Amino acid sequence: MSRGIMLLEVFLVLATLLIYFFFFKKKEETLPFKDGWWGRGQKPVTKEDSSIRPFKVETTEEELSDLFRRLDQARFTEPLENSCFHYGTNSEHLRKVVSYWKNQFNWKKQVEVLNKYPQFKTKIQGIDIHFVHVKPPRLPEGQAAKPLLMVHGWPGSFYEFYKIIPLLTDPASHGLGDEHVFEVICPSIPGYGFSEAPHKKDFNSVSAASVFYELMLRLGFNEFYTQGGDWGWLICTNLAQIAPNHVKGLHLNMVSVSRLGLTHLLSVLLGRYFPGLFGFQDEDVRRMFPFLKKGLYRILSESGYAHIQATKPDTVGCGLNDSPVGLAAYILEKFSSWTDIEFQNLEDGGLERKFSLDDLLTNVMIYWVSGCIVSSMRFYKENLQKGIGTQKHEKVTVQVPTGIASFPNEILHTPQAWAKKQYTNIISFHFMPRGGHFAAFEEPELLAKDILQFVDKVEKEQLWKKKGE
Amino acid sequence: MWRDILPNAWESILSRIRSFEYSQKNAVLVPAATLGLGGILLYWLRSGRKIKTIDMGDGWWGSGERPLKGKEDASIRPFKIETSDKEIEDLHRRLDQFRFTPHVEGAAFHYGFNSSYLRKVVAYWRNQFDWRKQVEVLNKYPHFHTTIEGIDIHFIHVKPPYVPHGRAVRPLLLVHGWPGSFYEFYKIIPLLTEPAKHGLNESDVVFEVICPSIPGYGFSEAPHQKEFDSIATARIFHKLMKRLGFKEYYLQGGDWGSRITTNMAQMLPQSVKGLHLNLVFIARQGLGRLICTMLGAYVPWLVGFSREDARRFYPFIQKNVYDVLRESGYLHIQATKPDTAGCGLNDSPVGLAAYILEKFSTWTDKSFLHKDDGGLESKYSLDELLTNVMIYWVTSSIVSSMRYYKENFSKDPDLSAHNRVGVYVPTGIAAFPQEIVHVPRVWAKDVYKNIITYSYMPRGGHFAAFEEPKLLAQDIMQFVQKVEQL
Repeated sequence: MSRGIMLLEVFLVLATLLIYFFFFKKKEETLPFKDGWWGRGQKPVTKEDSSIRPFKVETTEEELSDLFRRLDQARFTEPLENSCFHYGTNSEHLRKVVSYWKNQFNWKKQVEVLNKYPQFKTKIQGIDIHFVHVKPPRLPEGQAAKPLLMVHGWPGSFYEFYKIIPLLTDPASHGLGDEHVFEVICPSIPGYGFSEAPHKKDFNSVSAASVFYELMLRLGFNEFYTQGGDWGWLICTNLAQIAPNHVKGLHLNMVSVSRLGLTHLLSVLLGRYFPGLFGFQDEDVRRMFPFLKKGLYRILSESGYAHIQATKPDTVGCGLNDSPVGLAAYILEKFSSWTDIEFQNLEDGGLERKFSLDDLLTNVMIYWVSGCIVSSMRFYKENLQKGIGTQKHEKVTVQVPTGIASFPNEILHTPQAWAKKQYTNIISFHFMPRGGHFAAFEEPELLAKDILQFVDKVEKEQLWKKKGE
Repeated sequence: MWRDILPNAWESILSRIRSFEYSQKNAVLVPAATLGLGGILLYWLRSGRKIKTIDMGDGWWGSGERPLKGKEDASIRPFKIETSDKEIEDLHRRLDQFRFTPHVEGAAFHYGFNSSYLRKVVAYWRNQFDWRKQVEVLNKYPHFHTTIEGIDIHFIHVKPPYVPHGRAVRPLLLVHGWPGSFYEFYKIIPLLTEPAKHGLNESDVVFEVICPSIPGYGFSEAPHQKEFDSIATARIFHKLMKRLGFKEYYLQGGDWGSRITTNMAQMLPQSVKGLHLNLVFIARQGLGRLICTMLGAYVPWLVGFSREDARRFYPFIQKNVYDVLRESGYLHIQATKPDTAGCGLNDSPVGLAAYILEKFSTWTDKSFLHKDDGGLESKYSLDELLTNVMIYWVTSSIVSSMRYYKENFSKDPDLSAHNRVGVYVPTGIAAFPQEIVHVPRVWAKDVYKNIITYSYMPRGGHFAAFEEPKLLAQDIMQFVQKVEQL
């Protein structure tokens, strides 16, 4: 009896999907540029100040002593016996991190590290946008630097790119050849780090893409490459949808599909047995199946933060802006499980296997000193509150040449077969040998190499196109 | 083909019966067979009628290994809540150093707790809230500690100050939930121990009330081992009642309290005279339910919905899907990463207050989302709300309270593992209009087989005892009166 009902349910679902598929096929459109005003109060009548002002990260004794006072008064809760990182960040290990933070971590020194690349601020659509702008130290004869916009995500920051920047602006010194040299622009998403937070509702990824588009135009770039993962994936995608004529190439280290249809359902049910039928490669199958464990359960066990941030960001961020230890616990947990899901089984969460505590804490400090945790979380609500799969940009395809670096320990694997439904011009898709979600931070060399080979392909294609004209 | 075999088979049986002879072999075999069959029949009948219960099991939640020798210390020790200048100064220091984030324009409570209103709450907390005075309020009822399964269980035990002639005193266990505490019952306790004094003469019954703190909450020690779920809690509370000398008692609960008392009724029905709930956990949904839901929007009477059910239940997607998704972020993160979620809250009292008080806003009335102050003070006083928050703060129990979600939901994601067992004890349900999700009586009957009363309350939300103590007390009393007459 229950078997019969189950079959009926499956049939109803399939029928609905079929009807949907036939009657509501995607139409191709471009995504419009989203103008906005995100400053306080009313938009002033006068023209906006579009100057680009140099910026330096600073710190004070007061800031440091306030931090130390809070670290000293931290109240920890004993973890359950043998729980490792299964219940979240293990407080025994957190104590050790806090001890390092108090006694060995040197914020003044890290501020100097942050300031080694030139940083700027400029007002766009009413808010101050912070960005790093690194030009190549030297250029081969007759070559121009290629502008590359790199966008971070949550809980990351522009700092994630500090190890990959030299590999892109000065590849020759790092054994990566000198055919393509970049000048790199890493902005902070509004509401993150040193970029001002929007004061109005509805600042979503399309808004961020529009702001960054204006930024690149203001910097004098008519054509540029974009690269991103996490929110950076979505913002760069939106940018390619808004201004396809300006984006020469889109490189992503993460892809997510939000519009699921009949084929997705079928490929999940049958893809393990008939991979070829669904365009799956062996590596796709290895990474995606068993689907319940690697897909559904992983989404459920890892997305609690997204659920609460997409619904009550001001509540969940409140305490984190007041307790640096709480902030560190919240952020570092992601650097553990999103680098390797198996790190949950380690008492120290595997944190220092791929990153140094100095690097991890510098990223946390950016959230702390700028007080941006709450506004960073609001981005989830602004993007997800209407539901997944309902936004206009999810229906618009991407025609710009796209390169995807697929890292094995990314939270969820998206096969090329699925990605190409939205990214219609994928010219490179590689399975990376190692690395997780924070690709630029963890495996800068692998990522840089993939970006370079992608840009190489795009440039040759362009050249070929130009020759054909 | 069948037409041929059947008559032949029948013929052969008849001939067998006719040729049945009395013989010694048969004299033994036949009675034996009859006894055997009869025994099987009897067993089948009795097992069909025998109520299934949840296995009680056992547990150990203290640190390290369970001690092999020696009986557990079963003493019941009186306890008084205390505070110190140090504790208050530390709190004040943290309130003073709170780092505030401005909200977006027009946010009200749509993004969570409104930070402008939070500033006002913090100012009150810092300057007017008197924790010493509140500690005295908390100590007005007798508190105790006793060790069960390796951890200290905290509870208050309030006996009626005087019992009028001819009135029976019934023990009543009240169980709180998250983010509540035993303190939620402070307004309803006098209505239950001294009903006449408060104009509630409806029944002959007067209660002696026991309100424990769930292990990991408030002044009950947190379990040190994994897998401490509602079954373990139910067992511990049964042991508590037994230790206090009660053989039969009434249970009342909402939120986790509803789950725990339900498990208690499933575990030891013979000890539970009656079960009263102000929240029912929705059972597993199937195709049948889906169809009922769709039909019920147009012909509620056909699927057993009353008009009030329909009014509270529909529009379905809005109330049962969107609203639930919007309100369950906390549940999702607590059921997966409690130690992460709770870490900052145990370090920042303002963060803790925002997190907890947001629930007292939205779960009391959904329309409070549109208010800049979350409508908090329209139903509660700041003193009451902050006292509850302080219980989590001074005991540092926020993380362990959140772990309860993981321990319960990981094993049983839709909380339906024990639905088959059913609940056969007399049950009373008080359905409050602003409860997060409404469960119609016809659906509650799936699990609660013996619903004696089901009341549509005129007003009130999730924190029934805290917000509408008189309404809840009246409903409990009329339920108990009916049970006593059974």
